Amino acid sequence: MSEKIIQTENLVKRFPVGDGEFTALDDINLSFDKGEFAGIVGPSGSGKTTLLNIIGSLDSPSQGTATVMGKRISSLSHKEAAQLRNLHIGFIFQVYNLLPVYTVYENVEFVLLLQNRSAAERKKAVMEALEWVGIENLAHKKPSKLSGGEGQRVAIARAMVKRPELVLADEPTANLDAKNAHAILQTMKKLNEELKTTFLFSTHDEKVMAYMNRLIHLEDGKVAKDELVQAKTV
Amino acid sequence: MIKFIFKAILRDKNRSLLPIIVISIGVFLTIALSGYIKGVFGDMIDQTARFNTGHVKIMSKAYAENKDQIPNDLALMDARELTTSLKTDFPTFTWVNRIRFGGLLDATDGNGGSKGQGPAAGMAIEIYSEPSQEVERLNIPNAIVTGAVPSKSGEALIGHEFANKLGVKVGDEITYMGTTMNGAMTFESLTISGTVRFGISAMDKGMIIIDIADVRKMLDMQDATGEILGYSKDELYFDEVARKVSNTFNAKYIDNTDEYAPIMLPLSAQNSMGSYLEMVDSFSSLFIIIFIVIMSIVLWNTGLIGGLRRYQEFGIRIALGEEKGHIYKTLIYEAIAIGTIGSVSGTILGVLLTLFMQKHGIDISGMMENATMMMPSVMKSKFTPELLYIGFIPGLFAMVIGNMLSGIGIYKRETATLFKELEI
Repeated sequence: MSEKIIQTENLVKRFPVGDGEFTALDDINLSFDKGEFAGIVGPSGSGKTTLLNIIGSLDSPSQGTATVMGKRISSLSHKEAAQLRNLHIGFIFQVYNLLPVYTVYENVEFVLLLQNRSAAERKKAVMEALEWVGIENLAHKKPSKLSGGEGQRVAIARAMVKRPELVLADEPTANLDAKNAHAILQTMKKLNEELKTTFLFSTHDEKVMAYMNRLIHLEDGKVAKDELVQAKTV
Repeated sequence: MIKFIFKAILRDKNRSLLPIIVISIGVFLTIALSGYIKGVFGDMIDQTARFNTGHVKIMSKAYAENKDQIPNDLALMDARELTTSLKTDFPTFTWVNRIRFGGLLDATDGNGGSKGQGPAAGMAIEIYSEPSQEVERLNIPNAIVTGAVPSKSGEALIGHEFANKLGVKVGDEITYMGTTMNGAMTFESLTISGTVRFGISAMDKGMIIIDIADVRKMLDMQDATGEILGYSKDELYFDEVARKVSNTFNAKYIDNTDEYAPIMLPLSAQNSMGSYLEMVDSFSSLFIIIFIVIMSIVLWNTGLIGGLRRYQEFGIRIALGEEKGHIYKTLIYEAIAIGTIGSVSGTILGVLLTLFMQKHGIDISGMMENATMMMPSVMKSKFTPELLYIGFIPGLFAMVIGNMLSGIGIYKRETATLFKELEI
């Protein structure tokens, strides 16, 4: 039987706007198994990022529940939420968001420092992560010296170095050209297959959708369609 | 993690350099100015004590009321007996007799005529007739420009500028003309044993220093003295101690209505020195308070600007699983590191300047040419151990408080709100 890694039930998220409220997510019922390579797709403002933020324990539902790795997000304290992100969830952003004062190696290592891993463990894990994404030769470069594709590879290495069960990627190829976007997606797909890491994307990019096994279409905060699709193979 | 923080501080000049410069300048100014104020005011107090007021001074009540006129006709009688009892009653103090007197000095031309005359402010001290530290206390060995300290009766020291004005040099004879304590005219021939420069314009231009035994004879003041000065044996003035000694002494004479009865005044009760002492303390405290307030505001703003610049970084760190509390803590660690670096460099620079100014000072003799006030003509700083922390601690606190205040905004926000604001 497949292992449920994410489950949402009647999930609602509202934001105060002026005197009223704006409903960003409305009655979302979804579940994701371990090892899925799925995409939440839809136009801007459809609620993709809000859903990812809740699953990533950066936000909590206004109503309903979101359970990630067996933890109910709304009942987590700040500390527990941080711990969940620290140990089990990796984030990849549209603009890479590397820490500019640190080298590639240190950016990837930073995550492990938060876990109080030993220096030897950190070194082994960082070098391994850099090798996965093929940038071990860039270890001592600063982010400002990297190309867009290289920067996003570092971001993937940083998300993967702690071997998380879940990676949340918010528009990861939006700033990349087609060639780099495909290379990045192939890398993530390979990691998904080799490490059985669950990848959940937020995107409206056709190139990204082509790599997904499952697409959840959001429209005005509601699930319009949830479909299994034939993914592009690596 | 600490290593990581230090790496960021060293590499990100915007994060560290401006606050370090601001703190260094603030700490440096605090130390340099405090040292200078302490030096100048301290020198003035010390000099006043050594030359004029003592740590405590005994005069007759009538003399004390008119002391600016140096009324030697109202001098203390039975000075020897009084001094002996003071030495017994207050053994932690050193007691010395002094007589101030005025008069005219005439420099003879060797042919029975005069080559120069000038009014003199005389001071009779215990040079060789009594064992005392008066010569050292007035720093005479270092003040001597030519010649030596009087070693026998009939010798005198005069101000170097005064000697130049009269056209006399060491070995020349001068004649003192004045009045005795009984109002009679007196003339005394004296030989110049040396000329002195104290750096106090008023003294250098008109001072004559003679052994007290000679002056007693000259002014007919046998067993009398204008003033008895008391100095604590460590030569440091503590107002509380001086007041206590004065009160104890004065209690003995409280019912004595004789105008010649002695009265003891501490330094702070003479020549408005009390308010002067308070001013010195207030100035130092004021500097530190102003420094902390200004630095806190500046560093708070620096911290806020730095915080705004680093919003994205904080957002990334939150997403990576770092707690807000931990981010806040690392901000404080950074502040401590930056505050320490700034405070140490500011302290080193401040102490170096203070030591330099302690040696060289600022020569204001040009502005003091016509001054009659007793103050040093070279304004020097004074290094005291408290300068090592007087700027350091506020420097460190200002940085930490500034960062704590600017960091609270980040710490207090909800994670989701903050994350959105972080523009990730």
